[in-house]
Amino acid sequence: MSNLVALPIILPLIAGILMAFIHKRTKVVRTLSQVFAVLHFLMVGFIFLQVKNNGSIILETGDWAAPYGIILVGDLLSMTLVLTTSVIGVASVFFAPQSLSKQQEEFYFYSFFFLLIAGVSGAFLTGDLFNLFVFFEVLLMASYGLIVLGNGKVQLRESIKYVLINLFSSMLFVTTISFLYSVVGTVNMAQIAERVREVEQQGILTTIGIMFFFVFATKAAVFPLYYWLPRPYISPNPVVSALFGALLTKVGVYSILRTFTLMFNQDVQLTHTLFIYLAALTMLFGVIGALSTNNVKLVIAYNIIPAVGFMLMGIGIFTETAISGTIYYLVHDMIIKAALFFLVGALVYVAGTSDLRKMGGLIHHHPLLAWLFFIASLVLAGIPPFSGFIGKLLLLQGGLSQDELMIVIVALISSLLILFSMIRIFIRGFWGEKQEDPHPERKWRGLKMTFPAGVLLALSILLGVGAEWFYPTIQSISEYLMDPQLYIDSVLKE
Amino acid sequence: MEILMAVLAGILFTTGIYNLLQKQLLRIIIGTGLISHGAHLFILTMGELKRGAPPILTEGVEGYTDPLPQALILTSIVISFGVTSLLLVLAYRAAQVNGTDNMEQLRGNDYE
Amino acid sequence: MIWAVFLPFILAVFIPFFDKWRQRIHTGFIVTVAPILIFIYFARFIGTNFEPITRSYSWIPSLDINLVFHLDGLSLLFVLLISGIGALVAFYSIYYLDKSEQLGHFYVYFLLFMGSMLGVVLSDNVFVLYSFWEFTSLSSFLLIGFWNFKKESRYGALKSMLITVFGGLSLLGALVFMTILTDTTSIQEMISQHQLILNSEYFPIILTLLLLGAFTKSAQFPFHIWLPDAMEAPTPVSAYLHSATMVKAGIYLIARYSPMMSSNDWFFIIVSSVGIVTLCWGSYMAVRQTDLKGILAFSTISQLGMIMSMLGFGTKVAVFAAVFHILNHATFKGSLFMVAGIVDHETGTRDIRKLGGLMTFLPITATLALFGTFSMAGVPLPFLNGFYSKELFFDATLHLDEIANMGLVGFVKATLPYLAVFGSIFTFVYSMYFFFGTFRGKAHLDSLPKKPHEAPIGMLISPIVLVLGVIVIGLFPNMVNEPFIAHAASAIKGMEVEKHVSFWHGPLYPPLIMSITVLVFGTVLYLARKQWAPAYRFIPGVLSMNKVYDGAVDRLETYSTSITKGYMNGSLGRYVRLVLSAILIVTFAFMAVTGGFTMDFSNLAPLSLPEILVAITMVIAAVATILTNNRITAILILGVVGYGLSMLFVLFRAPDLALTQLIIETVTVALFLLVFYHLPKLRKKEEATSTRVLNLIISIGFGALMTMIAISSHSSKWFDSISSYFLEKSHSLGGGDNVVNVILVDFRGLDTLFEIVVLGIAAMAIYGLIKLPGKKEDN
Repeated sequence: MSNLVALPIILPLIAGILMAFIHKRTKVVRTLSQVFAVLHFLMVGFIFLQVKNNGSIILETGDWAAPYGIILVGDLLSMTLVLTTSVIGVASVFFAPQSLSKQQEEFYFYSFFFLLIAGVSGAFLTGDLFNLFVFFEVLLMASYGLIVLGNGKVQLRESIKYVLINLFSSMLFVTTISFLYSVVGTVNMAQIAERVREVEQQGILTTIGIMFFFVFATKAAVFPLYYWLPRPYISPNPVVSALFGALLTKVGVYSILRTFTLMFNQDVQLTHTLFIYLAALTMLFGVIGALSTNNVKLVIAYNIIPAVGFMLMGIGIFTETAISGTIYYLVHDMIIKAALFFLVGALVYVAGTSDLRKMGGLIHHHPLLAWLFFIASLVLAGIPPFSGFIGKLLLLQGGLSQDELMIVIVALISSLLILFSMIRIFIRGFWGEKQEDPHPERKWRGLKMTFPAGVLLALSILLGVGAEWFYPTIQSISEYLMDPQLYIDSVLKE
Repeated sequence: MEILMAVLAGILFTTGIYNLLQKQLLRIIIGTGLISHGAHLFILTMGELKRGAPPILTEGVEGYTDPLPQALILTSIVISFGVTSLLLVLAYRAAQVNGTDNMEQLRGNDYE
Repeated sequence: MIWAVFLPFILAVFIPFFDKWRQRIHTGFIVTVAPILIFIYFARFIGTNFEPITRSYSWIPSLDINLVFHLDGLSLLFVLLISGIGALVAFYSIYYLDKSEQLGHFYVYFLLFMGSMLGVVLSDNVFVLYSFWEFTSLSSFLLIGFWNFKKESRYGALKSMLITVFGGLSLLGALVFMTILTDTTSIQEMISQHQLILNSEYFPIILTLLLLGAFTKSAQFPFHIWLPDAMEAPTPVSAYLHSATMVKAGIYLIARYSPMMSSNDWFFIIVSSVGIVTLCWGSYMAVRQTDLKGILAFSTISQLGMIMSMLGFGTKVAVFAAVFHILNHATFKGSLFMVAGIVDHETGTRDIRKLGGLMTFLPITATLALFGTFSMAGVPLPFLNGFYSKELFFDATLHLDEIANMGLVGFVKATLPYLAVFGSIFTFVYSMYFFFGTFRGKAHLDSLPKKPHEAPIGMLISPIVLVLGVIVIGLFPNMVNEPFIAHAASAIKGMEVEKHVSFWHGPLYPPLIMSITVLVFGTVLYLARKQWAPAYRFIPGVLSMNKVYDGAVDRLETYSTSITKGYMNGSLGRYVRLVLSAILIVTFAFMAVTGGFTMDFSNLAPLSLPEILVAITMVIAAVATILTNNRITAILILGVVGYGLSMLFVLFRAPDLALTQLIIETVTVALFLLVFYHLPKLRKKEEATSTRVLNLIISIGFGALMTMIAISSHSSKWFDSISSYFLEKSHSLGGGDNVVNVILVDFRGLDTLFEIVVLGIAAMAIYGLIKLPGKKEDN
């Protein structure tokens, strides 16, 4: 039974290896990938329900008891995120054939894709800090594979920056793990949490905690560590951008959420105040970035950043409501970011340019794309009753109940500016006089590109309108996170 | 000895970062190499140095050095080797396609 | 009741399907049915013995967000306005909008708006109210942008959205605040616990946020600027959203929260003065407009200001007059918008400078306009409803008995009557200007795009109905008073409000004197308007709020661009410097604050010569990588560092590591050498000295930071390592004596599995990098 929880990692691993062997037979690979992705989704859904009904599933890999072996912890938070990941996986795998060139498909796109999913799922599931590093490397390496895929001039140039920054942060990560190991003598997250609570003098632990925060914040794109993000994210194919935007930064956010609720929760006053200020700056600089450019892809990429600010805000406020808000926002943002990158991919494809100043009147030729984009903008800006609103509302409530007025005001202003940055695209790109369709031959493929986005959008509307079906689960996750003893007990069982 | 090693690893980080801040790709990659050496040395130092025999169980030996950091370093060495190789090839391709290895000339603008 | 709110939404879903077969019948006919049904449904609540009713449907109970609809006198007034005017406007639009337009879109937005607006005025749950509130802003955005091929239309749409959504978000802030303080999401319950809010230290913020929401939506000064630009929407929309209903949502909100707040001095000061300033400013600016709809837009602003100020007064008379005027304004302004639409439709222009003398060509329209404008001007005639509410307004400014005479409150109170008269004078002027400028004087037929003739009867029906409303209410004001207006006023006041309205109070009745003053001065100013027109050059002159808005939006984009371009210049060096400095500063700060740095020399391995020698070699080699300008040398020295490291591994009893490091270092150096052939030569340093110094500081600082944390960590070994378990069990359970190997393949086998996966991915990526032909251009 407990072996189930390894499946979300193992299945994509097998799929990834399989696709590598048959990579030349594009059609077969495509179909098989779709089958695998759907299978992964169904399976993860099943495990999710198991966890939801019967509590966390703990797997001691190789049968080595915690804290000595590597533990996979399928708790509700992990499984929720793995489930969301698998949904995005399905959407991406159906979007990919429309947007990739044959060469890109042949050169292991699907392998990289599945291994990325394996890495991301592993990062969500593992209960071992060093193992988290290994899964980070898996997902990073897969992302390196994806980002260079195609060998475009710009792509290669931006890839170098991306790889270098991540390489540096990985080295910092592994070093920091060893520091922590020196102090607490273990790398098992539950045991670290247990031991950290026994320590009276927290100074060094807080310092190490801050180092961890920066390592994860580099991945999560928190101010001021997001500089590397926007351009590398838009240089590869849209489907790759979608995977990056939806998954990679969120792994960073998850790691911050996990480590700072479970392990580094002793000096909340200090660390979490830092988070609140950084969250505010992240939001502001993110939206300023989104308003600064006429490159539509870049607008979306910049919009990743304020969302991270919102999530960090919840962690900084650190109440049950606020943490619920962070988790809700996390799930919402994964879905909507994927949808937006798909949509903007389709937009750039049909318009033949990513320069907003060269677009106009596209709604006359691509009404479905236009309306989906409009709705997606509303979802992103947190207009009710869509999914962004629920998360935002919880965060605002959490913030105001803790008298964090500044961050709440910043959050409200950023919401407005996010909407502005998106509506600009709608007004300037889609509205306007009817012009000749720049690429009439691309219409059908463009339409096919919007479908996966449509499905994701439907999902995020459901996540908002049907919040009653989701919120209680999220709330119970939040309660669980606020009481680290539950996690410790479930892993260490003593 | 641990202090000395910590200082040495710190110096490796320093030189690595200084190289990382240069413009030329080759230097930057050399910098990452130095940083990963520094990181590995840090990990090793965090176990206790020279407190006993190598962690290969032998009859009659009581104390061994801490095996866990060593295992972690091994994993990390292999991974950083993978990344460095990729980075080298990437650098070669990028320099070839873009016609320069100067990162300042590889800034780019928004509309590409 | 839920059906009434959702009927428009449901219908909206079907409109696109219907739109496909609309060749034979105009979509508008179908749409008109919805508001009529809703009107009939709610009309039955009119009556003297009306009691509020509440219906709840659960939606997101775990967040306390439920569909709770509360129908009291105030809601009823608005519901009937929304559905009544909605029906008339929908009917009017059938003749206004040609079948060649994108009718499907138009009516979907229209219904979306109607449903949302009903939701706003019926919701008792604050978050549901907020949801509908934002939807009215969005549907307004879409309707203003209906003719989005026009630049002005896009401009107006964006402006209205930015301003109203800004207000919406402030409102959200206020609502969240209030729910936290009172622990309820129901407006009615909040009001019953108003002490919790009024006595909270956050009350000033709550009030500000709430008022921002209301003022932006109801186009109060200085947020009024979006409304004139919203006139780019088709005229039925202007009549409906931007005059009769949506812009009154802010009024509604203030009215709704009046029972809670009206006792507060700041509420009085802000709402009254903003309202009265808006009244004056709007009517003053209306006279300057040349577009018929522009006049009406500023007129709407001014009338909304008047209603707003009365809600600020909060006295019984004022509240009654406010409610009464909401109704009256809807009737006369609605008809005037339709008149403007007819003129536009029949002559092809709305520019009042080209119009004139249309009385002979459009006699019916002119008559309608006559009633509308005179009612708006408050001309004292017993069949014009506008006069009654205006007179009550004057009366209210004179009878603020509940308000203190001292301080700022007293000052505001004292100036109100004068400003009221001042604003009303200009109201009179623009009303006359509208009517006489369009329908009297000399006709300039050759400058008109179309030859004018009377509108089709279908187009006239709706304004006729509204003008009949003007007259009937004017003749029998008490007919609507008791069963209808009084309930709404009572709901706002939170107590019974009764008022008998009559036309004649005697010749020395002060409000009448004010009215006559308005009449006299208004006539003079109207006739002499050419003489004082230059005043506009000074006020507003360059101080227009529009310039502020345009400047702000422009600057938002240009400053964003310059800020972002400033640091996001694509330079890797810049990125790394910023990232590292941030980590460095914050971590040092934390270490200092928490006392994280500790040193403990008690548990150290002894120094010995071989290690020291190796270490010195490594340091020299590491520094040399910086200094050398020869590629091969640099690579080889890096190798030296690597081999030094494996030496250290040997010395520190880590044989496996030493072997691995040796092999990997060799392969890496080989790889370096392979690649280096293809990279250009190393050059001399090109950076400025300042950059080099900065680089040096950052790198030394970072190295020092890492060393310090390492030493502190090593000095804080508080727990036994789990490694003892590995040493113990390696042989018995793992079946191997080399503990490191057993850890790798058994205890932590998962790590190793995925380490191999990493290498595999790297191999594939490298293969792709080499094999795929590079593209010079990206698509």
